[in-house]
Amino acid sequence: MNVSTASPKEPSAARVALAFFIALAAWLVPGLGHLLLRRWSRALVFFLGVSAFALAGIALRGHVFNGKVGDAFELLGYLSNLGAGGYYFAAKYLAAAPPDVSRAAGDFGTRFFATAGVLNLLCVLDAYEIATGRKG
Amino acid sequence: MKMTHFQALILFALVTSLVFAFLSKQAPRERIRYAIWSFLAFVVIALAIGWLMFPFSR
Repeated sequence: MNVSTASPKEPSAARVALAFFIALAAWLVPGLGHLLLRRWSRALVFFLGVSAFALAGIALRGHVFNGKVGDAFELLGYLSNLGAGGYYFAAKYLAAAPPDVSRAAGDFGTRFFATAGVLNLLCVLDAYEIATGRKG
Repeated sequence: MKMTHFQALILFALVTSLVFAFLSKQAPRERIRYAIWSFLAFVVIALAIGWLMFPFSR
């Protein structure tokens, strides 16, 4: 029996470097990576989706984790928040009032902002895969 | 800004379903089908779990 060991063609170093740049852009501004790749509808939906979660999270006075990590929960929260890219850095300037997780709405806000970060990371991976040619 | 649990559920289900549909499907028709099914699954399963937990809430 003849078993094929051929692997899919690996992208060139220049293409991988470009893909990293696009992934960075996609992380900083949700949807920008797909905009650079001329995937208009994806860019629009990802920008609106991540922005809706991030802005709702801030408006609901959710907690945005900082780099001071005390336990595993805070580490996961910090990493998911960091995924929101530009919104993470802008959160403290966009917030009209400090976080308040004593109310249910504040708790929703914390989850929404974390979801914005995780969704944006998925979008970053998608942009990277498209840029390297592994995904159509 | 105020939001009820149900409004939060609808917002979460709607946005997440749309993003997942655009991430995983290419054709517009497939995206619409996926988004609708995903949205309904989020809402129905969340409501079902909510009712299952109801007897233990007091």
